[in-house]
Amino acid sequence: MYFLFEYLHLIFSGFLTTVEVTFFGIAMGLVLGTILAIGDIYGGKIVSTLIKLYVEFFRGSPLLVQLFIFYFSIPTLLDIQIDSFTVGLIVFGLNSAAYQKGYIKGAMASIYEDQMMAALSLGLSKFQAIIYVILPQAMRLVIPAWSNEFCSLAKSTAALLIIGERELTSAGKTIAGHTWRVFETYTFIALIYFVWISAVMKALDILYEKVKIPGLEVSL
Amino acid sequence: MAEIVLECRNLWKIYGKVVAVRDVSLGIKEGEIKVLFGPSGSGKSTLARCLAMLTKPTKGDVFLRGECLTRPGVDLNKARARIGFVFQHIWLFNHLTALGNVMLGLRRVLKMSKEEAEKRARRALREVRMEEWADHYPAQLSGGQQQRVGIARALAMDPEIIILDEPTSSLDPELTGEVIDILRELAKKGTTMLIISHEMLFNREVADEMIFFDEGRIVERGPPDHFFTMPKTDRARRFMERLIKQTARD
Ligand SMILES: Nc1ncnc2c1ncn2[C@@H]1O[C@H](COP(=O)(O)OP(=O)(O)O)[C@@H](O)[C@H]1O
Ligand SMILES: [Mg+2]
Repeated sequence: MYFLFEYLHLIFSGFLTTVEVTFFGIAMGLVLGTILAIGDIYGGKIVSTLIKLYVEFFRGSPLLVQLFIFYFSIPTLLDIQIDSFTVGLIVFGLNSAAYQKGYIKGAMASIYEDQMMAALSLGLSKFQAIIYVILPQAMRLVIPAWSNEFCSLAKSTAALLIIGERELTSAGKTIAGHTWRVFETYTFIALIYFVWISAVMKALDILYEKVKIPGLEVSL
Repeated sequence: MAEIVLECRNLWKIYGKVVAVRDVSLGIKEGEIKVLFGPSGSGKSTLARCLAMLTKPTKGDVFLRGECLTRPGVDLNKARARIGFVFQHIWLFNHLTALGNVMLGLRRVLKMSKEEAEKRARRALREVRMEEWADHYPAQLSGGQQQRVGIARALAMDPEIIILDEPTSSLDPELTGEVIDILRELAKKGTTMLIISHEMLFNREVADEMIFFDEGRIVERGPPDHFFTMPKTDRARRFMERLIKQTARD
């Protein structure tokens, strides 16, 4: 396996790209997903239909197709250039938002009506009720689903290889091509995925335990 | 004569085909305690929620100290802050401690500083004898304790009237006493209240007027003794008989 040392820089920069896209995707997905969930619950029929279309598109089409659309179709249409890294950020962010919207809305709906009425009875506005009562509970409930979303997104970033972005899997491909040591190379790449994904999921477990409140657990 | 604090006139609430409240007019005066009772599904909760503007009436008007709340453009959040509400199923905020539950409205609605809000919240918790439980989460409290926090949460806002929707009916019988004791104290202090309750001994003791509600309307009203001695309508008489039998058994 010593030959891999020669390529450490390549592996490391690929790994960084993977991590960046993953974290950005998850974070953007969380913010946008929350907004979409709120919009879906409170936005009325038209907004809710638009959100549904958005979600259907990102959940109902292959990730590769989404990458192609943002890498080839949209730039051609608008006559602009978008580099593959930026496409990665956008697509994984939008894609994750579609999934996270579902989890967050589900959690919000499960605590919605009675808690909302109790909050309104104190004179809180609907917006304040969402911020101070609904979301703090929904976010706690959503952490386990979030952990799954992270796990799947972190692995899906490998698809970026197809539009030429040098992430972790593509680094492996390059090395394997140079050295012909296919087995060792991909085993090592797989190990890196395994270690960092497990580490983050463990961290999320700890976070879940830390912010857990009696009576607000998710039954797994 | 005392001023009317909260009032509805010709109030209707219709859910699809169900007429939950039909043409009800009712006012609660300063310092007065009105008790509403009647069969389950008769529309008591709906009426209470309409009065607190937690549910939008289909027709009719609600007035808070003469100010019409059912006109467009009224700041309902402000109005709701002046009306305390205690729920049948309690509905504490699950992610907040007892203290946090009481402080939320003080901080976010009355915009008090943290120190001021905490002082007032602790005072409210003391009034319901829950001060030692301030740091406990709802799930760590018994039903009776939770409901006392629910009362403190409403009380802390210093509302002009408190509406209590069957505050003891979701509790185990042995826990209703501690809640009733608190309500009795509130009554003694002259708190303006609309109470939905079937605790007939308590009702008889504190009510200025009792209102028998059935099928979305006021069927009969009068001082408590009226219902214990000579209800006019058959429906009220039968309902009273059933309740008294039940109370005797408990
Ligand atoms: N949110 C709602 N949507 C539809 N129907 C409702 C709703 N709330 C109450 N109702 C109906 O209105 C009627 C009166 O209910 P409620 O006010 O809860 O009665 P009570 O408090 O006297 O038991 C019932 O038939 C109930 O099913
Ligand atoms: Mg009811």
